[in-house]
Amino acid sequence: MGRYVLRRLGQMVIVLLGATLILFACLFVIPGDPVGSLGGSERARDPAVVKQLREQYGLDKPLIVQYGTYVGKLVQGDMGEDYTQRRQVTEILMPKLINTSKLAVAAMAIDVLLGAAVGILAALKRYSLLDTVVTLITTLLVGFPTFVIGMLMLNLFAVQLKWVPVIGDPSDPVQLILPAFTLAIIDAALVARLMRGTMLEVLRADYVKTAIAKGVPKRQVLLKHVMRNSVIPVVTYLGISFGGLMGGAIITETIFNWDGIGMAMSTAIQQQNNPVVVAVATWTVAIFVVLNLVVDLLYAMLDPRIRLS
Amino acid sequence: MRLTKAMRWTVVAASTVLAVAACSNGGSTSSNGAKPSQNNNAPAKDGGTFRLGIVEPTAIDPYNTQESEGTLVTQALFTGLTSVDADGKLSNALAESRTPNDDCSQWTFKIKSGTTFSNGEAVDAESFIRGWTRAAAKDAASDVAYHMAEIDGFDKLQDGSATTFSGLTAPDPNTLVVKLAIKDCEFDLRTFHTVFSPVTKDAGPATNKTYNDQPIGNGPFKLDGPWQHNSKITLVRNDSYGLTKAHLDKVEISILNSANADQLEYQGFQAGQFDWARMPTEQLGAAKAVYEPKGEFLNWDANGMNYILPITFNGPLKSKEAREAVSYAIDRDAIVAGVFKGFRNKATTLVPPAFKDAYQPGVCTSCGKQDKDKAKELAAKAGLTPGTKLYFGYNTGGGHDAWVQAVAQQLKEVLGLDVQIDGIPFKELLKKEQGPDATGLYRAAWGADYPTPGNFLNPLLSTSAINEDPATHEVQGDNRGRYSNPAFDALLQKATASKDQAERTKLYQQAEKLAIGDDLALIPLWNRTQQRVANTEKWVNLSYDFNENPTLSKVSQK
Amino acid sequence: MTDETITVPLDKDIPAQGGSGGSGEPAVKVVREWQEVWHRFAANKLALVGLVLVAGLLFTAAFAPWISPYDPLKQNLMNTLQPPTGEHLFGTDILGRDQLSRVIYGSRIAVFVGLVSIILTLLIGIVLGAIAGYFGRFYDTLVMRAADVFFAFPLLIGSIIIITVTGRGVWPVVLSLAIFGWATVARLLRSSVLSAREMDYVHAARALGAGHLRVILRHILPNSIAPVIIFGTFNVGLAVVAEAALSYLGVGVSPEVPEWGNMLASGRGFIGVYDYMWTLPSLAVVLTSLGFIFVGDGVRDALDPKLR
Repeated sequence: MGRYVLRRLGQMVIVLLGATLILFACLFVIPGDPVGSLGGSERARDPAVVKQLREQYGLDKPLIVQYGTYVGKLVQGDMGEDYTQRRQVTEILMPKLINTSKLAVAAMAIDVLLGAAVGILAALKRYSLLDTVVTLITTLLVGFPTFVIGMLMLNLFAVQLKWVPVIGDPSDPVQLILPAFTLAIIDAALVARLMRGTMLEVLRADYVKTAIAKGVPKRQVLLKHVMRNSVIPVVTYLGISFGGLMGGAIITETIFNWDGIGMAMSTAIQQQNNPVVVAVATWTVAIFVVLNLVVDLLYAMLDPRIRLS
Repeated sequence: MRLTKAMRWTVVAASTVLAVAACSNGGSTSSNGAKPSQNNNAPAKDGGTFRLGIVEPTAIDPYNTQESEGTLVTQALFTGLTSVDADGKLSNALAESRTPNDDCSQWTFKIKSGTTFSNGEAVDAESFIRGWTRAAAKDAASDVAYHMAEIDGFDKLQDGSATTFSGLTAPDPNTLVVKLAIKDCEFDLRTFHTVFSPVTKDAGPATNKTYNDQPIGNGPFKLDGPWQHNSKITLVRNDSYGLTKAHLDKVEISILNSANADQLEYQGFQAGQFDWARMPTEQLGAAKAVYEPKGEFLNWDANGMNYILPITFNGPLKSKEAREAVSYAIDRDAIVAGVFKGFRNKATTLVPPAFKDAYQPGVCTSCGKQDKDKAKELAAKAGLTPGTKLYFGYNTGGGHDAWVQAVAQQLKEVLGLDVQIDGIPFKELLKKEQGPDATGLYRAAWGADYPTPGNFLNPLLSTSAINEDPATHEVQGDNRGRYSNPAFDALLQKATASKDQAERTKLYQQAEKLAIGDDLALIPLWNRTQQRVANTEKWVNLSYDFNENPTLSKVSQK
Repeated sequence: MTDETITVPLDKDIPAQGGSGGSGEPAVKVVREWQEVWHRFAANKLALVGLVLVAGLLFTAAFAPWISPYDPLKQNLMNTLQPPTGEHLFGTDILGRDQLSRVIYGSRIAVFVGLVSIILTLLIGIVLGAIAGYFGRFYDTLVMRAADVFFAFPLLIGSIIIITVTGRGVWPVVLSLAIFGWATVARLLRSSVLSAREMDYVHAARALGAGHLRVILRHILPNSIAPVIIFGTFNVGLAVVAEAALSYLGVGVSPEVPEWGNMLASGRGFIGVYDYMWTLPSLAVVLTSLGFIFVGDGVRDALDPKLR
């Protein structure tokens, strides 16, 4: 087990290096000069300042040297200065990361509470009205792209009904509601379907039938056998989905002006604020890989038949 | 360098369309229409908290303050030698007098004695020298220090071969002598820019992060705690201010998400959270209907211009006839009415109407009514035949998509040109525009840094503003159309060397007549027009300043 | 037509099915097998609904010039942002263009990007996945670690970066979707190849002297391809959505192109002010996405009844 984790972590480092190298290469060939114009504005920079900044940030060096320097600093926890405000990238991104995490956790909570609960209920009461309604809604919902859901929500709850202000103060929990639901609702539908499906499958399984036939109380069967076994695919799905959420939901953050890292990323790409782009991408990839590992470990815990190797 | 809000990146913003719904007041709106009622007779009451939203500035430390939001804060914190009112009139602030020598190669500023920074330290000539040197130093890599470029010794500071500013001397604490490397009779106009602010002794170099986030100044306000990035900046009245004190107790500045700050500002205003706000272009019509009757809607032509930059040294627009053909083919009136719903005013000049003395409406003869026949005739003359490929680059994220398409369509319809629209991020656009192979049209805009027509004509059209890199042949200056006309350059030189304001204005007008009227080196489209809602029910003396910000130092409670 | 999109790639593989060498299989039996698949598909009502939606989309795309009432690029600055009238059933946009016509033409981009990007994704994924699974060892490690890298990038972020490098346009969008999509296909294929590789008939074929390429093409792929096809059908809809999302974020196709994401992006500022700007394109995206998901469901159930 320990060795397995170590090996996976090793692979993770390789993936991270690969991802950042690809990113560096891409950023390197983008036509514009990252420090060619003023901070966040539309004016050419004074040529003397451009030269000074290119030197200062090592932009005059070959790609591989720049990459080496970056990795060297990254190991020491230094992600560099951004090109606009010239502040530490970590300092700029930390509050945004917290905002993104809030959104991700809230969305995850909705996925689990709403999605899983609905799925379980639907499975237990198969062919009931509830089941039919759930199946119908979840079937339709998965076809809705996030930006359509976001715009519908914004229009309905903020503009028409005025239940929630559109103006966003991320510290106000009320503000979390719309973006979190927007982000969660498709996943919740998928989780509900997945949960229902696996539950039904497990309920049909021989060992459950046997248990019931042996006279084990239904409640105990449900908790001990059914839940435990049907939750595995759901955990996998949620784990990977959480990784995606932590990477910043660009669309949702854009629609609701959520000051998270997804939005920071899309702004930074447009402005060629490369240190921010690289930092967010590194973070996103890292969190994704780590969560994948966690999911696999959880998997092994939940299902003793799975051996990690 | 003053960069205005609308010029900033709004990246994938809601405002990808410049338009206003549900309101067609087709045609022109009155500019300068509704200045709020100013009740100057009543004695101003002290007190109150003024609230507004901005987007995160690049800097509030004067060494690098650049866009309108940063300027709002820095101007509240610092007072320099001069100040400028909304109409661009320069007056003394800390300076008691500003005198050029005979040939304008040296300026002497007498500084008001007895004023202090908010920490009690005296503001004297040395404070100014300290501030200017700090901004011009190599390590500062300041984006705005180039405004000092004509001061003697600037180059040495920039390349790091000197640490003192040789052009600046202080014969006594109240006298600042500025020696210029060239002759400029308008140098004093520059000194109102925030980069010319004085700083305290402990400000340290520009890289001092503590001072960057919590600068100690000598302005009408001081910071209440350091800048909370992406969250807020709080200002309180500086009771030891050396000039006329502010009335507001406090200014609460919320920092909003840049992607659609205008939306947030407007909603905040509607909800009573803000006293001053921009509006999304889509909602201008609705906002005007509600707030104009109450006198709370401001709409004015600001110190800026929107135009198309044709590449004049290369490609299909080399000849003046070709450029005129393009200009005649554009139906500005239809775009203003259809796309902007009247919230822009058609431009027929490069120097905007905000410069009342120098403004010469109609100087661009092809900017009037669309004239298809004339356009075709000129195009034929210039060899701009139907089917000619014409590149038209613009930056994305600034709300230009719609009108660019409209212009392209008109060029296609009238001249049969094969217009190739290219929407790319600004930095890429800039690189293309600077390159030696650039051709065609580029969207562009310019805002005045200091109130002189020269600040349009010089950087945009003079030969020295091309500044080609000898190695890469890239244009490094702002004259990226590479217009070059010795007669024009001579007129400008004469203007800056003239001490007589009226004569200067005349020379500038002649220069504009030459570059725009005769040569059409840039193709004007519409003036920079600004709209705000302002809570004039609660506040007196609330209006906009030269930088399109609220007049914080004058506002008082009703 | 839509039938074909689903069955054609399968048909091609039929001769090798269950193959002990190839061409001698009676065609009748094969046809019957695919008839069964079709029957199972047709029994799924939702799948049929999906089929109708997809067929409608393809029809609209193919006959856009005949269906749409106006030229989607025709501007009329005298008539901008008009609410629906008899003349313009869904109103006009900021440049006075007919919204309905733009939505109709938008289907062309959707179909093109959806299908081409998926074909490209499958091609890259199948080739690399087959190599990894079949040859194993070094190739496996190389391909799978690369897959990890691309898999770990969120699709939108990755695509935005690629498009920033290449510039906006239809092909950059297609390409970026394929670049960040192939990893999943490669993984799917690799695992099915891994199990197919150990089958007796593969060993037999090798023993009889068949080359690697022949073994892969004739024996392994046909038996490993089902999950990939299911993935493909599902993901056409997702590709359409991703493409619209990119344009919505301002990095997709050029803004003058009549395309749903572009329309949504310019409609965003008009929420609550002029809702016609975004409702119709939203509907188009949703119906397309649902259509392909339903068809995908149907294909999965038909190909692999166990998964039901």
